Amino acid sequence: MKRITRRRALVGASAAGAAVTAGTGLTPRRARAAGELTVWWTQGFYKAENDAVIAWMADWEKRNNTKVNLTIMNGPDVITKLIAGMQVGDVPDVVHTVTGDRFLVPRAAWNDQLEDVSDVVESQKAEFTETALISARLYNAKQKKYSYYGVPTKASSLMNSVWLPLLEDAGFSATDMPGTQDKFYDFFQTVQDKLRSKGKRIFGLGYSMAAKEADAGNLFHQFLVSYGGVGIVMPDGKLNIDDPAVRKAAITTLERLTTPFKKGYVPPGAINWGDVDNNNAFFAKQIVMTPNATISIAAAQMDKPDLYYKEIITRGVPLGNDGKPVPSVLAIAPTIIPKGSKNVDAARALLRDFIQPANLNAYLKETRARYLPVMASIVKNDPYWTDPKDPHRQVAVDMGLTKPTVPWWMSYNPAYSAVLSEQIWPQAEANITQRNMTAEQATDEAAKRIKQLFEQYQK
Amino acid sequence: MTAQRRARVIDSIGVWLLSAVLLVWTLLPIYNIIRVSIQEKEEVLSTSVFPIAPSPHAFSVVFRQTFWLLETFWNQMGNSFFIGITVAFLVLAIGSLTSFTISRMRIRSGWMLTNAALLTYVIPMSFLAIPFYGIMGKYGLTNNPIAVIAVEVTFATPYAIFIFQQYGASIPFELDEAARIDGASPLQVFFRIYLPLMAPALVAIGTYALLLSWNEYLYAFLLLSGGKVITVPVTLGKFLVGDEAPWNYLMAAAIVYAIPPLLIYYGFRRKMHGGLTMGGVKG
Repeated sequence: MKRITRRRALVGASAAGAAVTAGTGLTPRRARAAGELTVWWTQGFYKAENDAVIAWMADWEKRNNTKVNLTIMNGPDVITKLIAGMQVGDVPDVVHTVTGDRFLVPRAAWNDQLEDVSDVVESQKAEFTETALISARLYNAKQKKYSYYGVPTKASSLMNSVWLPLLEDAGFSATDMPGTQDKFYDFFQTVQDKLRSKGKRIFGLGYSMAAKEADAGNLFHQFLVSYGGVGIVMPDGKLNIDDPAVRKAAITTLERLTTPFKKGYVPPGAINWGDVDNNNAFFAKQIVMTPNATISIAAAQMDKPDLYYKEIITRGVPLGNDGKPVPSVLAIAPTIIPKGSKNVDAARALLRDFIQPANLNAYLKETRARYLPVMASIVKNDPYWTDPKDPHRQVAVDMGLTKPTVPWWMSYNPAYSAVLSEQIWPQAEANITQRNMTAEQATDEAAKRIKQLFEQYQK
Repeated sequence: MTAQRRARVIDSIGVWLLSAVLLVWTLLPIYNIIRVSIQEKEEVLSTSVFPIAPSPHAFSVVFRQTFWLLETFWNQMGNSFFIGITVAFLVLAIGSLTSFTISRMRIRSGWMLTNAALLTYVIPMSFLAIPFYGIMGKYGLTNNPIAVIAVEVTFATPYAIFIFQQYGASIPFELDEAARIDGASPLQVFFRIYLPLMAPALVAIGTYALLLSWNEYLYAFLLLSGGKVITVPVTLGKFLVGDEAPWNYLMAAAIVYAIPPLLIYYGFRRKMHGGLTMGGVKG
């Protein structure tokens, strides 16, 4: 056998490496061909929801002779992956993200990382609700202008799901639920007391209080509005947290969320709940009620008529303590075209087609009304949305479309997106429940950090 | 009872108590996974310690792929296998060849290579996610299993080299010298002397590399996209984003996914026992 020297071995290894590299095509090349579209879409909760997107894109592909590479992935992954893509300049052509309006899109628009999609929005501008348009109109600090950087696709606002059998077990009926903010939520503490007196270990309130994901933030901010803190950020983007009314609303919100927890009316595990966990606790009948971002709790039981029509009650946001209606904080899920897209024109064409009211309606119906239309005409023209036999859908439509709504504050200033990413308000709740701060101290600490974040986003 | 005997009894009670706590601590999560996997969805969050109506339904759903998030489960299992086995093979090949070259062929300044390789662990794996994403994107490898394999091999190899070198130091040089005197080439020394005596370390590192890639989530979801190329952990991650997570299916899928590495580990465990070099220089 021929003797192998060290030099010979090294030369051989290099040659083998080069051959493998050449053989597997590991040389720089374009990631995808022009004329194709790469689309990242947030996974739906139901198969039919994904299937609707897949079917519509396949149809669009045929009609436009443009191949669509569609990837459906979970919500947080879409955002992480898109951030990675934006950093290295390898982005898809179209992205639909459900929580992107809160955690990514406003800051991406500010940093000039998104294509201006005004032409797409303009194609249906008359159809979109005012809150949807405000949510999609964002500031680009580089180009020093407001414009549409996201196409409003679907909406959602806070709902309250209640177990009727547990109310009845406690000796109440659905009509006993009070209609105003404090009385409504306090009622479930009474329900818990009654159930406990019967030896049942059930919690009255299923408040999400974890400093992660979206539910705790959704709950805090709806309460904030209910207590008069809607002006925390002004439409011109100025932070208004020192306004006595806003400060008072924040303190009251923190008190009203943390006191029941400390008194044992909220499951102890709620400080670690992910978005799915209040739903699961509800289904396990560990809690009598839970506020949730959509009507997904009822929608998940649609195939069980007894549960859907008789046992689960959906209530919207209660009236304020003064008896006046409180606007719902409406989240608008956007669809965007990241800057660096290889096929911007086709991406725009695809979005223009998607937001045709008929297409959007077909897709949204498959979400089982978890998500609401961003166009009033859809609700007006399709009886599905106002079906009087459906006890949940109507309530959601009422809160998100018929009654007053307000946009999330990131559309006024992207700094508020950072506030949500850092989970500042849920952290303030934790400061009260875990570190024994007072609501005033926790509010002041939160306000301090929020001011620092706003300083980074000065026009 | 003498004081000495009493102390011994107290000691052993302490040991038993500690062992019991550790045992419960270790087994409770595993029990919980199994418990959830044999419950129906509605029961999953019940407070009962034992399943109320145990059923293999969730396993049947996983095996038959009848839940929409598990439609391509076996395909994804195959992807995990392909990536795991390839990573293990490459890490063993690169690690053993490198350690052999450095320590047995006594390459000049070889110690620098070992130290430099270990330095790569100074930077956490997650910090390199975006640079790796960029590199793979430039080479058109996103959505290609080769990208994940490359990443995993990169992270596992330095540790493999380090372990192989440490373990290799216990193999007497006299064996190499004896083989060379008998006319063996370096490759023959590598294959006939070095590798067989390194078997325990090879099994340990092979298992480590396999598990590293088997359980990988961050790079797998970042670098792979389509339903047909993703691995099982990425699919399992999809269960946790809906407002209604079917925990029983998730746990059943997790148990099925945990079986292959367990079988591999226990199948090769006997090989991991040390002492293979004992008496190697005798006779």
